[in-house]
Amino acid sequence: MVKLARRTFLKLAGAAAAAGGLYKLGLVGLESLASPEEQAPGPSSDRQIHGICRLCASGCGLSARVVDSRVVKLDGNPFHPNNQGKLCPKGQAGLQVLYDPDRIKGPMRRVEGGWRQVSWSEALNEIADRLQALRDSGHPEQMVFLHDGKRGPTSDLIARFCRAFGTPNDVRRLRHSADGTPLTHLLTQGWNDHAAYDWETTNYLLCFGGAFLEAWQPLVRQLRAYSRMRRGRPGRRAKIVQIETRASVTATKADEWLSINPGTEGALALGIAHVIVRDEVYDAEFVTEHTYGFEDWTDETGNGHIGFRTLVLRDYSPGRVAGITGVPTETIERIAREFAATRPAVAAGDVSGYSNSLYSQWAIHALNALVGSTDVPGGVMRQTEPPLAPWSEPAPDEIAAQGLIWPRADGADAGRFPLARNVPHALTQAPYPIEVLFLYHTNPVYDDPPGLGWRTTLEGVPLVVSFSPYLDETSEYADLLLPDCTYLEKWFLEPLEPSLGCPAVGLGQPIVDPLYDTRNTADVLIGLAQAMGGSLATAMPWASFVEAIQEQVQGLYQASIGMPSAETTETFEEFWAELRSRAVWYDQPHEFGQWGSAFVTPSGKFEFASQILKERLETLGTSFEDNDLLPRYQAPTFEGEESTYPFHLRTFKMITYTERWGANIPWLQEIYGLHVQEKWDNWVELNPETAHELGIHDGDLVQVESAQGSIELKARLWPGTPPEVVSIPLGQGHTTGGRWAENRGANPNELMAPLTDPLSGELATQSTRVRVRKV
Amino acid sequence: MKQEGTTQEDATLFEPLLRTGKGFYVTVAVLVILIAWGAYALVRQWVLGLGVTGMNRPVFWGVYITNFVFFIGLSHAGTLVSAILRIVKAEWRRPFTRAAEAVTVFSLPFGAGSIILDLGRPDRVLNVFLYGRFQSAIMWDVTCISLYLLSSVFYFYLALIPDIAMCRDRLNVGPLRARLYKFLALGWTGSERQYRRLDRLMDIMAVWLTMLVVIVHTVVAWIFGMTIVPGWHGAFIGPYFLVGAIFSGVGAVIITTVILRRVYHLEDYIKPVHINAMALFHLSLSLLWLYFTFVEYFTIFYGNEPAHMVVFNAKFWQEFSPMFWIMVACCFVIPVAILSNPRTRTIAGAVVASIFVNIGMWLERYIVIIPSMARPRMADIGSYMPTWTEWAVTLACFAFFALLYTLFTKLFPVIAVWEMHEARHQSVPEAVGRVRSYMPGATASSLPEE
Amino acid sequence: MPRWGMVIDLDKCTACQACTVACQAENNVPFAGPDETALDRSKHWHDVMTELGEEGRYPDFHVRFIPRPCMHCEEPPCVKVCPVGATYVDDDGIVRMNYQRCIGCRYCTTACPYTIRYFNWYAPEYPAGYDVYLNPNVPVRPVGVVEKCSFCIHRLEQAKREATAQGRELTDADLVLLPACNQACPASARYFGDLDDQESTVSRLSHSPRAFRLLEDLGTEPKVYYLAEEKA
Repeated sequence: MVKLARRTFLKLAGAAAAAGGLYKLGLVGLESLASPEEQAPGPSSDRQIHGICRLCASGCGLSARVVDSRVVKLDGNPFHPNNQGKLCPKGQAGLQVLYDPDRIKGPMRRVEGGWRQVSWSEALNEIADRLQALRDSGHPEQMVFLHDGKRGPTSDLIARFCRAFGTPNDVRRLRHSADGTPLTHLLTQGWNDHAAYDWETTNYLLCFGGAFLEAWQPLVRQLRAYSRMRRGRPGRRAKIVQIETRASVTATKADEWLSINPGTEGALALGIAHVIVRDEVYDAEFVTEHTYGFEDWTDETGNGHIGFRTLVLRDYSPGRVAGITGVPTETIERIAREFAATRPAVAAGDVSGYSNSLYSQWAIHALNALVGSTDVPGGVMRQTEPPLAPWSEPAPDEIAAQGLIWPRADGADAGRFPLARNVPHALTQAPYPIEVLFLYHTNPVYDDPPGLGWRTTLEGVPLVVSFSPYLDETSEYADLLLPDCTYLEKWFLEPLEPSLGCPAVGLGQPIVDPLYDTRNTADVLIGLAQAMGGSLATAMPWASFVEAIQEQVQGLYQASIGMPSAETTETFEEFWAELRSRAVWYDQPHEFGQWGSAFVTPSGKFEFASQILKERLETLGTSFEDNDLLPRYQAPTFEGEESTYPFHLRTFKMITYTERWGANIPWLQEIYGLHVQEKWDNWVELNPETAHELGIHDGDLVQVESAQGSIELKARLWPGTPPEVVSIPLGQGHTTGGRWAENRGANPNELMAPLTDPLSGELATQSTRVRVRKV
Repeated sequence: MKQEGTTQEDATLFEPLLRTGKGFYVTVAVLVILIAWGAYALVRQWVLGLGVTGMNRPVFWGVYITNFVFFIGLSHAGTLVSAILRIVKAEWRRPFTRAAEAVTVFSLPFGAGSIILDLGRPDRVLNVFLYGRFQSAIMWDVTCISLYLLSSVFYFYLALIPDIAMCRDRLNVGPLRARLYKFLALGWTGSERQYRRLDRLMDIMAVWLTMLVVIVHTVVAWIFGMTIVPGWHGAFIGPYFLVGAIFSGVGAVIITTVILRRVYHLEDYIKPVHINAMALFHLSLSLLWLYFTFVEYFTIFYGNEPAHMVVFNAKFWQEFSPMFWIMVACCFVIPVAILSNPRTRTIAGAVVASIFVNIGMWLERYIVIIPSMARPRMADIGSYMPTWTEWAVTLACFAFFALLYTLFTKLFPVIAVWEMHEARHQSVPEAVGRVRSYMPGATASSLPEE
Repeated sequence: MPRWGMVIDLDKCTACQACTVACQAENNVPFAGPDETALDRSKHWHDVMTELGEEGRYPDFHVRFIPRPCMHCEEPPCVKVCPVGATYVDDDGIVRMNYQRCIGCRYCTTACPYTIRYFNWYAPEYPAGYDVYLNPNVPVRPVGVVEKCSFCIHRLEQAKREATAQGRELTDADLVLLPACNQACPASARYFGDLDDQESTVSRLSHSPRAFRLLEDLGTEPKVYYLAEEKA
């Protein structure tokens, strides 16, 4: 009996073990799967909450599907006039930003060999003490706040903090080209900002440089507009001419792509102007009534000065321009005629990165005035500012007043770059020590040429505090990390970047509670100010940032225009609730023909010859000649001898490049380079014939070297590359930032020469020559 | 007849059943190690998923499916030698028949098995029987291969019965083996009537199996041929695979019998004349293979259809070209060089040629399958690098096949003793009579002289 | 019965790839990671193909970007070869997957001339908490089975249920932006609907002189139509 029982037991045990083992091996199918038709038991809550995306500077409205406090899908907010219910692939991938496993999950202190977690109170107390000590020592100007200057109350708050603290060093490292292009409008129209464009109505788009379907904010608006330009107006189809050295995806979508020699876009614009002026097909009425400096003029002292007409006719014949740009004479003639003959037509551009960028931008913009496309439908407009109520001016105390007298550490007010308001890279040569450095949404160690010396500068600052929510190359030098929340976890306002012309303000609100021990940087600053007391606390009287935001939003309410508005809501509370449910306020449509606000120049007109520039140069005592006050062309400066470094290096941004969250987003890595079908990597693009001559095949590992350094990455052949150019996409080559961002590809910024545009101080990032050889 | 005469005559054939040398144990040990390694690789694959192999998108099939076709091809050997040669009354087949049938019976499970270990969900293999849909070529395969396996095992067993009876009667073996022989012998007494029945049944089975051989490998080819994948789709693929199967199968039979000849001292039974006959047959198959291959590729080349030329170029000039040309060397150049020259068409030469043929034929399966998948119409060019898992499992399949074969040689004589007996006592006069009947002036009365 | 189909207007498409990412998010498609991607195993139920013209030389070359979901063919080669009926055409013309029945033989993935089917080489990984954003309306597929674009069948079923509950039929407006890819497209270049409903957008557009389908001469009868670009 016993024997049998034991045998049976063993058999059963064996069978059970086997079954268990098989189950564990997944061989026994015990998964409970719902086939697509079957529904799992429903979640207890399934809501859509609206907010704002912040993966680039576009500020699109988003709509998050939240199931049981988990965000499971992001789409566009249908109410937001910019993107109207759509998101680009970055926005769609935002789930992997919120739930990024490599986010910084709480305050950290740098220790030997890594980071140690600390509490908010410990970190903030230390910072408060150090700041207080700085003030006590009488040198508050030695605090520098380096941030991205994104339009909105957070930047206002930082400015306020700096002013109340007593430092002039509210240094804004705006996104790429954001300093140069706005200056064009300052010089010609008197306002220092980007312009809005009426893409949807235009019939001819002459686009210089900017890959407007990939890397021009606000992106989704462009994507929608492209669709409308093509098929949105039955019987009418806009012609798109893309003028770029290298064929971007945008260029392949355009009707015509003109490949142009690097840095010569200004010359082309002037050549086109020449044809238009020569053939007298410009908008004579507009030019006469609303422009200044077209004809030659005499000043008060009786001196004669040439105007735009003389300049272009004299210096920019199509033949000469063809030689400079590489665009054939017949093409220049034809495009000019088409541009002038089609109404409305608009010239737009983003030709940053060269030493002559500002003038090029100016020349391009001048084309709009030439054909009367300024502040008319289908043309270029000045965006109306939303009527946000400004906070009351803080009164700096004595210590602060002392600090504010100092010149800026970036030398912006010293006039080295006459038109610059910010010269962040000059911080590396600051005239006085920097004791405390705050970093917010900025990564110069990665983005800027190594020759500037950011690393050394950062090492020399005793206290570096970074608010970055993820570890980036610059934050690696921080002493303290105070991670910000993501855009799905905090309050902010996102005034619309110039695009539609009409004003709009997006409301960023927490879609979910912060996942980790992170805090909205704005709240941290308010807390810090209040902890330090005195005039700082008075300057930040709010309990939290959302209160501060509401103060500004009061202005929208009082204005009684737009949607939502005081006209449809009884109280501010109702207005606020309505605003929260829509997550955007806007007032459409844009009113055209507002010459009073479109031109705020000394002449009250569009200035071909810029009096503002003249004033500025005179104030600084810089010498200049007539030509300098007009949009003229000067050949760009490149670093590197052509004989040693035969190629121009172009860097470019693709739609998968997030300006503001690094590369730790797998969904974007998996679709990274569409036109060459590259994933999880970057590459250097070569012209196929050139590659053949160098013995380089598609996919070979090559070394790209400039006078500044060298990198190794794979070569890809792209027929959109001119023979003497090589192109590298930005966004890879990180050394930190998360498991999917790190040690992947190469960072072309390491090859950059630290050249600058002499007027704007902007880094000329496309001015480096390189050589390429197979590894 | 159970007595002396036959015992003395064919004592050699029973030696392996009675005596086991060191070589056997070493062989088994090595094979078991290989099998164990492959089993580990396989279990790991089941636990983790097919990701441990080198397959990907678009090369969704690789070494396992190559093995599938290859093993099915090997299995055609047995049927060919014992069934087809039996039908055409080729007397020189006799020393080969059982060894060849054993190749069939032991390689078929690895053919079918290779499919199962290629499945993403082997735990769901029963779905094939529960939900099988006959518009899919896989179901045709399942049916035909099952039928073929059952039929081959049956045929194999039939041909074994008289020899099992001999084992039962004369061998001094342990009680377990004695019981096995008794059970399997089915009470065979060796009477005239029984032999006639056996003959009849084997004649029918031979025809049936020949039919199945044609159907099975055509149907295997149709897994590929019935899709619209360039390089697969075509009327030709059925016959091409069939010829290839017989080609590699004959090579396998040659290798196997020569090994057996060496190991079990069967020089008297398997003579140069036998190997020569098989070798000549093998040579003609090589020429036939070349013809089929040439026709296939020349037609593609001349037609110049873009989707087909992409695959063609991949094989002829691009990354698959080394393998392709090695295949041609192994399947044609080397075998024909060795086998067409009587001086090199020795036993050793035949074995060398067969080894090359089998390598070449494995490569041919690979060349048919992978390049077409690596050149999809609407996706990037693919590539494929098998991992150690796939090689380990492949090796284990071969090792397991060899192990089963080795064990078989310890249980049953590798040459059909009763067929040798039949040859000595019946076939000679029968053959003489047959030839005489072909001659002019032959009448019913001029029958064989006794 | 409706005959569900899709139209993608390449003249409006900006090749932004929002459709691809939206599909990943909506359908719980696991990302492969860099190592598996290097082994050609990334999964994109929807992706965008790059068609570079072979003869082009700088600066005259031609490239086309073609978004590619499953074609939901009327004569699907994949359905024909499945031995267990794990993939089948339903009454509405959607080529469906039965994840529980699939044995992972990968005959269908091989037979599809558009290479739009994907196989789970490993159990799907959602590293470090990424499974938190899984869409509860779509099942997570296990190791060893094939998966592919379903025309967002779960959304279709939900829309049908809602319409029935409201006592009405599905309208063109309900359907045009129904799949996640269509909904996400910033250029509004994609349309979904009943090809047999003559009033529907997809039906109308599928008869456009610009309309074409991929690999039409293979006889698969794909139900995704493309509208060719118009150059000025």
